[in-house]
Amino acid sequence: MEPNIKLRVSQIEKSFPGVKALNKIDFSVRKGTVHALCGENGAGKSTLMKIINGIYKPDTGQIFIDEKPVKILNPIHARSYGIAMIAQELNYVPEMSIEENLFLGRLPVTKYGKVDWKLLRKKTIEFLSAEGLPYKPDQKLKTLTVSDIQMLEIIKAINNKAEIIVMDEPTSAITQREVDILFKKIEVLKSQGVSIVYISHKLDEVFQIADDITIFRDGTVVESHRASDLDMDKVIALMVGRKIENVYPKEEIKLGDKLLEIKDLCSTGVFKNINFHVSKGEIIGFAGLVGAGRTEVMRAIFGLDPITSGHIMKDGQKVEIKSVKDSIKNKMVMLTEDRRRYGIIPIRSVMENASISILEKIIYGGYAHEREERKIVGEYFSKMNVKTPSLETPIQSLSGGNQQKVLLAKWMLRNPDILILDEPTRGIDVGAKFEIYKLMSEMAKQNRAVIMVSSELPELIGMCDRIYVMNQGKITGELQKSEFCQESIMKYATSTI
Amino acid sequence: MKFRNNRVMEKYSIFIVLFVMIIICSLLNENFLSTGNITNIIKQLSVAAILAYGEMLLIVSGMLDLSAGAVLALSGVLSVSVYKSSGSLIIALLVAVIVAVVCNIINAIMVTSFKAPPFIATLAMQTVARGIALLFTKGQNILQLDNYVVFGQGNIGPIPVSIIFLIIITIIIWYLLRHTRLGRSLYAIGGNEEAAVASGINVKLNKYKVFIINGILVGIAGVLFMSRVNAGLPNGAVGYEMEGLTAAIVGGTSFSGGIGTTMGTLTGAFIIGCLNNIMNLIGIDSYVQQIVKGVIIALAVIWDIHSKTKKTTKVVLVEEKEKVVSN
Amino acid sequence: MKRKLVSVLVGISMVAALLTGCGSANGTTKTEDKGKDGYRVAYIARAQSDSFAAWLANEMMAAAEEYDDITLDVFDGQADDEKENAAIENAITSKYDAIIVQPNNGEAQRPYVEKIVAAGIVAITTNARIDGIEGASSVDADPYAQAAVNAQAALEQVPQNAKVVVLNGPSGNFHADERRKAWQAEFFDKRPDVEIVGEQIANWNKDEAVQYMEDWIISNNQIDAIISMNDNMAAGALEVVAGKEEFKDILSYGVDGTAEAMLLIEAGTMTSTCLQSAIDLAKLNLETVHKLLTGEEKQIDTDIDAPLINKENVADYVKMYKDRGLIQK
Repeated sequence: MEPNIKLRVSQIEKSFPGVKALNKIDFSVRKGTVHALCGENGAGKSTLMKIINGIYKPDTGQIFIDEKPVKILNPIHARSYGIAMIAQELNYVPEMSIEENLFLGRLPVTKYGKVDWKLLRKKTIEFLSAEGLPYKPDQKLKTLTVSDIQMLEIIKAINNKAEIIVMDEPTSAITQREVDILFKKIEVLKSQGVSIVYISHKLDEVFQIADDITIFRDGTVVESHRASDLDMDKVIALMVGRKIENVYPKEEIKLGDKLLEIKDLCSTGVFKNINFHVSKGEIIGFAGLVGAGRTEVMRAIFGLDPITSGHIMKDGQKVEIKSVKDSIKNKMVMLTEDRRRYGIIPIRSVMENASISILEKIIYGGYAHEREERKIVGEYFSKMNVKTPSLETPIQSLSGGNQQKVLLAKWMLRNPDILILDEPTRGIDVGAKFEIYKLMSEMAKQNRAVIMVSSELPELIGMCDRIYVMNQGKITGELQKSEFCQESIMKYATSTI
Repeated sequence: MKFRNNRVMEKYSIFIVLFVMIIICSLLNENFLSTGNITNIIKQLSVAAILAYGEMLLIVSGMLDLSAGAVLALSGVLSVSVYKSSGSLIIALLVAVIVAVVCNIINAIMVTSFKAPPFIATLAMQTVARGIALLFTKGQNILQLDNYVVFGQGNIGPIPVSIIFLIIITIIIWYLLRHTRLGRSLYAIGGNEEAAVASGINVKLNKYKVFIINGILVGIAGVLFMSRVNAGLPNGAVGYEMEGLTAAIVGGTSFSGGIGTTMGTLTGAFIIGCLNNIMNLIGIDSYVQQIVKGVIIALAVIWDIHSKTKKTTKVVLVEEKEKVVSN
Repeated sequence: MKRKLVSVLVGISMVAALLTGCGSANGTTKTEDKGKDGYRVAYIARAQSDSFAAWLANEMMAAAEEYDDITLDVFDGQADDEKENAAIENAITSKYDAIIVQPNNGEAQRPYVEKIVAAGIVAITTNARIDGIEGASSVDADPYAQAAVNAQAALEQVPQNAKVVVLNGPSGNFHADERRKAWQAEFFDKRPDVEIVGEQIANWNKDEAVQYMEDWIISNNQIDAIISMNDNMAAGALEVVAGKEEFKDILSYGVDGTAEAMLLIEAGTMTSTCLQSAIDLAKLNLETVHKLLTGEEKQIDTDIDAPLINKENVADYVKMYKDRGLIQK
């Protein structure tokens, strides 16, 4: 047994009706280290973390903190053991101020039981200035960007004097610069003896900061090693249980004519003079920092937001796109970012979520042809390897990766010429990512075009033929495949021509 | 497979509730299952059920209508007075429908173009419509309706006209939800409006459509109501939107939108109708009746929330289940 | 987005104000000030949406026309204690010479009527009166007497061992309670042979009465009489048995003397009712307020008559309604 073990779990098992979620889990975290958990969605990482945080109770097994057995009853109880958790889903009240959110549930009170607003303000200002955050304490949280909020959440947990911090996908919504800040913070915490459990799908990050890596698959621990004994390919192979030959299945395609051309597209206050094109068989990428205007440009092209001037050419013809319908008519579809908000209809079935794009193909002649619908959708699902218990399952019951595949199937059913993908792989597991990359390649092979907006530079570099870089609502750079490198992309992403 | 059975149980539980209730009622009173009483129940619930369909469609698409009772009264009294001056039943029916549709188009304008929350918009319409109905009649009941009563009291063969209305409307609403693009679009809009927009659904147009359908239903309900009581009552049907909402919710329509069925709503209306009926048949005190009804509504809402939380815990289940499939 | 919403709300409230404005302009038509130094009288109605209250308000205005020295303004309590009380306070502030209050709920308005008296303004409570306010007068129809005349007639008409159903007004309502009391004391206590086979609160509403009656005729094959605390509910119950052979001899009693009841009595369907005449009540109110204002008397408590209307005398009342256009000729 190693010395300095902060947290150890032994022989943990957890079953849900009909399924074994965790099977004899042994795993330990050393004091003052970062221990990364890798595994596909549904491998059991989150279940285990919920057990450690007291949300679930294990069926059998034991948790040890500082080698003393403990029983954790609920998250508040977990906090008393020095355990803090930064959830993937943020919990905050958008209509409340920063100070109220920071001290939510533990507002300081005067001896008369009144909220001590003065003390609250003082504490908040101290806190914000100590962290170098440029916010006012009475600013409402909804005025902050998602990444700002995530940073606040992280800092809040850190400042709670935790000894064990669980971070579940902490970087899924923050910018590269903030990731750097976070990693510096983690280094400081490590030196203070804090142990960190780090869950992430971004393996490059994992290798940047992890001391130890444990790989989960199907509710069991596959292997646990020092990070220095592993490499990325090995981890992926262990996670998916098979070897993925090439993470980015990009193939060389001879490019055809210009398929889509955007000319001088403007939207007052949002983006300006956007010019770009994509040819048949081409995959282009859009890089940039969060808030650079990439999503807004794509939404405008897809007919979701209005434009002030400029035009869109398809196959050399000018097309009017005023609504999503117009866009679909021109065989252009878009997988929007933020799956939960713009993508899925949570309580409806996976079948309905997919067939919503082809209603006129299944409801005609005054009758809904459900058998045809099942056939069409079912075929596409098996082609895209969608894993679902049945076609009637509500989409919210599926894992993120499978939800994304259903949404892709929805658009692929329309047989589009142009596929726009906005952050298509955010928060989904390696297996599902690979399916999406394969689909992109497939599209290109059939002489169609793909536009991908992504904040993950490796996938842009791996999958694209050309990359446009945006900053502050303008295209600040265009890179050919030979010029691809992370540094030059970041340079354009922060330049202000 | 087990999974499926649970879903089937969940899907049909409301019908089972009604079935059990009918058995209990028939044991409580021997007349309960008589033809006369069953006709009674259906006649009594037809107005509430027709309103419930409108509310259900609106709730499914993430809205609701608090003006139904007041618009019913307005379209009813106008229809009655038009009948008295024209003598034509068809024109009277048309007037009721047109008036209610106009009110609902105004609701739709407030909700879609001005983005007013449906709760507020229809609450305003409730006050305005009731006010116009009272102003028009100077607060007095309109009497001497003559043949107007055939809608609510007449028979075609052995079947009351109001029941025929209910059957036809039920079939139409069922068809709309099940076999038209409108139906699918409404589920999508109520399930996640932003996703519906991003999927190319014309949300605004569909909201107009559903309000117009609601208007038609409210107008017909107005005619049935007034002819049933043989008077134009400007004060009638106060709070009837709540009867409709209750039937829809008891029938499994989810207040958070995206879920609701025609047959569920009809069953909800039957549950409430049977409840009212049996309590009267066995002579339960008015006060106690109110308590029982309140408890039923609370149970329905708790049921609704409970079945939803059950679904979210399933998330974990399915994630685990996937492994079985993928292995 | 938010600003848009606000503007929508402002718009809605303006439309609403416009409409209610139209309504009140219609309702508060001021009688022209014909006298040299006319008296200003405020009438605070319970609710313009209640058909009897609306009728009474109209009759009050008509009755005021008869007095050259009285100007009458009508305010709407909107069936809400808060609003009614606020209307009373406003009338005190506006220094009316007399304020007539038709309470929404007697006890809730009592302190406000006391305020009227304290302000030295002539105070009258009407339909229903608030008892025992020092210095305040009252004009009312006696609800007990209204039901009692029917109950007394029923004593002889209702057959031995009869089965009857009872329809009540909202509980806690003064008129509803007094009418039911009269039926108890004047009829049920004297006729122990009569069995009540159904009794429910139908809240004065016709549609609720219809539903109760539909259920009652299922569970009872014999019902000899409908005893209703108002005409509206009696008419609803009669709607259900209309044309049914087994109920062709059913007796039915109401109160209020509505136009509908007149037609039903005339047709021989309804047995009797008692007129609560808004016309008489309005006339008596104006007469009383005039006497008080001119100083003829200091305090008056008076009731209008409670005439029983049945087949014999219904023609006179039908004529009265026809003259007022409430029944078509």
